[in-house]
Parts: sequence; C-alpha cells; structure tokens
Amino acid sequence: MYTQTVAQAKEPVRNDAMYDFLQMATGVALVLFMWAHMILVASVNLDFGGGRVMNFIANFFEATYMAQLGGPVIFLVLLFHFFMAARKFPFRAEEQKAMWTHTVRFNHMDTWLWIIQAATAFIILVLGSIHLFSVLTTLPITAARSAARIQTGWWLLLYLVLLPCIELHVGIGAYRIGVKWGWIKRSTREYFHGMENKLSFVMIGIGLITLIMFYFIVTPDPTFMAKTPIPHM
Amino acid sequence: MGRQLKFNIFRYNPEDSASVPHMETFRLEETEAMTLFIALNRIREEQDPSLMFDFMCRAGICGQCAMLINGRPDLACHTKTKKLPDDITVLPMPVFKLIGDLSVDTGTWFRDMNTKVESWIHSDKVLDPAAQEERMDNVLADEIYELERCIECGCCVAACGKANMIPEKFMGAAAFNRIGRFMLDPRDQRTENEYFEVVGTDDGIFGCLGLLGCEDVCPKKLPLQDQLGMLRRKLGFSAVQHIFGKVFSSKK
Ligand code: HEM
Ligand code: SF4
Ligand code: SF4
Ligand code: FES
Repeated sequence: MYTQTVAQAKEPVRNDAMYDFLQMATGVALVLFMWAHMILVASVNLDFGGGRVMNFIANFFEATYMAQLGGPVIFLVLLFHFFMAARKFPFRAEEQKAMWTHTVRFNHMDTWLWIIQAATAFIILVLGSIHLFSVLTTLPITAARSAARIQTGWWLLLYLVLLPCIELHVGIGAYRIGVKWGWIKRSTREYFHGMENKLSFVMIGIGLITLIMFYFIVTPDPTFMAKTPIPHM
Repeated sequence: MGRQLKFNIFRYNPEDSASVPHMETFRLEETEAMTLFIALNRIREEQDPSLMFDFMCRAGICGQCAMLINGRPDLACHTKTKKLPDDITVLPMPVFKLIGDLSVDTGTWFRDMNTKVESWIHSDKVLDPAAQEERMDNVLADEIYELERCIECGCCVAACGKANMIPEKFMGAAAFNRIGRFMLDPRDQRTENEYFEVVGTDDGIFGCLGLLGCEDVCPKKLPLQDQLGMLRRKLGFSAVQHIFGKVFSSKK
C-alpha cells in the first residue's frame, strides 16, 4: 500500500534545478546586455563615425557609474554563466567522442546548433575576457579610443572572430532557452527558429558595419595606445 | 524492374569470440511497397540466415524494429524503401546494449526507466473491484491517452545527444513523457516533491540540452518537446520558489 509519510519527511535536493535556472537567468541577462551593447557601439554609425551619439551614451553610463560598476558585474555574470553552463559540457574525452560521433551520424540541425554553441562558448570566454579587460582598464569609453584600439589591426581581427561567435551563441542560446523552458512550443518552433536565424544575421551585419566604421572612418585617439596596459598586441 | 538497392549493414555478434564489428554489403532489387522490414527479411531468407534484427508486429505498434536508418533512428517496419536513396546504411541503435547485428536490448532499458519513474498510479485508496470505475473528464482522458501512445521503441533515446554522452545515466524523453502522463492523472496522488525527487536532477530534466532529437524522430509523434518544456518550467520554477521562500522566511 502506498504511503506518503516517508516521501514527505524527505526533501528533494534542488541544487541541479537551481544551477540550471541560474544558467538560464545569466544567459538571459547576457543576451539583454549584448543587445544593449550593440545599441551603444552601433550608435557610432548614426552620425557616420562622428561619435557624438556614442560618446553621449557612454558619458551617461560613466556619469551614473554604470560603466565602472556594471562592467565588472558583467564580467562576473559571464564567469558565473560559464561555471553553470560548463556543468553541461562533456569534459571527459569519452563523452566528447560519443557526442561528436552521434552528431555527425545523426546530422540533425538542432544537435549541430548545440555543437556550435559549445564551441563558440570557449572562444568567447578567452576573447571576451581580453576585450572586457582592455575596455575596463582604459575607461572612459569613447568612440575615439575604440577606433584607436580597432585600428591597431590585431584588435580588428579579434573582433571579427568574436562578433560572429557571440551572435551565434546568443541566437542559439535564446532559441534553446525558449525550447527548454517550454516557452517555445511544437506549434511555434519553426517560427522562432527562423527568427533566431534572421536575428543572428542582422546582428552580425550591424556589427560588421560598425567595425568597418571604426576601422576606416572614426578618428582615433592618438594618445590612446600609450595609456593602454595591453600594448600593441 | 525495380531499383537495385545497396544495404550496408552492421554485423557483430558479441556472443561469438571470433566475431569483429564490421559493415557488410547486401544487394536487393526493390519491389512494390517495400519496407526496410521486408528488405531485411528477404536478405535473411535469401542471402544470410544469420542476420540478427528484431520485429514482431510489422505495423508500428510493438516498437521492436527501431534502428538507425542512414543515421536516423526509425522503425524499420514503417520505413518505405521508396523514400530512401539507393545506398542505405543500417546500424543498431546506440545507448542500448547490443544483442547482435541490428538487435538491441531496449527491454531492460525501459524496464529500468519504468522502475525509476515508478510508472504506476500511486494511490492509497483501496480498490473496490465491484464498484463502478471512477469517472474522468473526456478531454483529460484524451490528453492522457495522447501521452500513453508511447510504444517504447527507444528512437527518442537513440536520437538524444545527452543520452549518447552519458548512456548509463540520462533518463531520456520517454521517461519525461511518462512522468508527464502521471502528473496529468488525477488518480495519482504523488506530490510535486515526489515527482521532483524522480526527475529533478542533471540526469533527469535539468540535464536535457533541448536538442529535440527526440521530438524530431518519435515515430508516434508524441508531443515530447511540449512535455520537456512543461516539466522543466514546472519543476524549475517550483525549486526557485522553494529556495527563495526559505531565504525570505529565515530572515524573519
Ligand atoms: C564565458 C564564455 C561563455 C561560455 C563558456 C558559455 C557557455 C555556454 C554553454 C556551454 C552553453 C550551453 C549550455 C547547455 O547546453 O545547457 C551556453 C548557453 C547559453 N549561453 Fe553561454 N557561454 C559564454 C558566454 C555567453 C555570453 C557572453 C552570452 C550572451 C551574451 C551567453 C548566452 C548564453 C545563452 C542565452 C545560453 C542558453 C542558456 C541555456 O541553455 O540555459 N553565453 N553557454
Ligand atoms: S531535447 Fe532533451 S531529451 Fe530530447 S534529445 Fe535533446 S537532450 Fe535528449
Ligand atoms: S516517445 Fe516516441 S520515440 Fe520515444 S520510445 Fe516512445 S514512441 Fe518511441
Ligand atoms: S515490428 Fe513492431 S514496430 Fe516495427
């Protein structure tokens, strides 16, 4: 006969649930941040590289201490997200091999997307940290300083790799959050899948235009390279 | 004359110490309305009587004949060769224990799964066999029936990246679907905590990567995606509420 007494006395362990929730929550926070970030940097295009709009927005964040505080916080969120998401990553060679064999053999879209997400994750961890460190150690953020950084050439290369990685990771991540938490249903999956693709393309496009603008048009801050602790890479 | 079909079939008999895993090629002329099930039977009858594979109902009901057909898990008996290219590769499903050639042991896996999720109605009501059965709303009965249709073929498990990664541990979509079925059933008196105890871990719903391999291959088109989402949201948010509830109440 079934009795509930034993089960009631025992509380379930909720750690895995909490970690998974935090992975999702930090993922959402980072996605929102990346969109806001895109608005800030792409605003340099609004006055065709003049940088007045971008400086205005950056100033606002500076004056309210959101850059000085928010920057390190974002870095912590990024690290935290890494620790949570890494729990799902197959670190054992045997598991990696099984996943890879399965992915190639099955050749299934969403399974490939996960491989892309996991691979871009590690690139973002390294390149994103370098970028964050450089920007936060050379505050304030101005269009001229960003231009100086990007015009060294090596930084341009870094951003050309980082940009598509971020946009793919974010696009796939947002779609998969929807699926995993049941906000995207069987009936709406196709629609959101399409949305995710288009959004990633548009974001990479805007990002590329912005990088071109910084590289060719925006006037760089001539004293910047002397100030940065990361030398001419 | 029909197409000449080329079958690349995985061969290995773990019982035979002389046997090594390898691929073997068979050729067959396609006939009208041929299924992979028919083709395999003809190969066994006409070319190699030692070929091992499972089937029972040949009608997509028993779930015995699941295998990887050009990489995709599906039922051999309902796969028309017409829809396949000339070159067909057939492998046994991963994750499950290999019995031989294309035959795998899904039975033990599903038995373990059913034990783990305690796949029966938990009730402390005493059954009176003479009394009329309890009534249930038609709409709800249909909803439960929709999830009951699982034939335990194992396709969803073979298609699951996570199950391939940790085959011994991950519960898989069939288990999530089964739990969803009991959660719907008003006769089952289990509390949310008790369901949580069963699936609320990284080997259960919180380990699911949302790759939807399961959803895309299920030959019975069970609503696996919607079940996964429902479970994660329900149990995930209940855990968050619980933990925050504790934090706030301990501050008082
Ligand atoms: C430090 C570098 C990063 C690493 C190592 C990393 C790692 C991962 C991994 C492995 C996953 C997949 C987890 C799973 O399948 O359950 C994931 C998911 C995700 N990541 Fe990242 N990520 C990083 C940075 C970022 C950034 C910068 C963003 C956003 C701007 C982001 C947004 C997301 C989102 C939205 C998801 C989906 C969350 C979920 O499935 O619950 N990640 N991340
Ligand atoms: S959605 Fe979850 S259960 Fe389904 S194939 Fe993916 S990881 Fe496996
Ligand atoms: S859920 Fe579908 S794929 Fe999985 S065992 Fe049941 S019928 Fe087969
Ligand atoms: S033989 Fe029964 S499902 Fe294929």
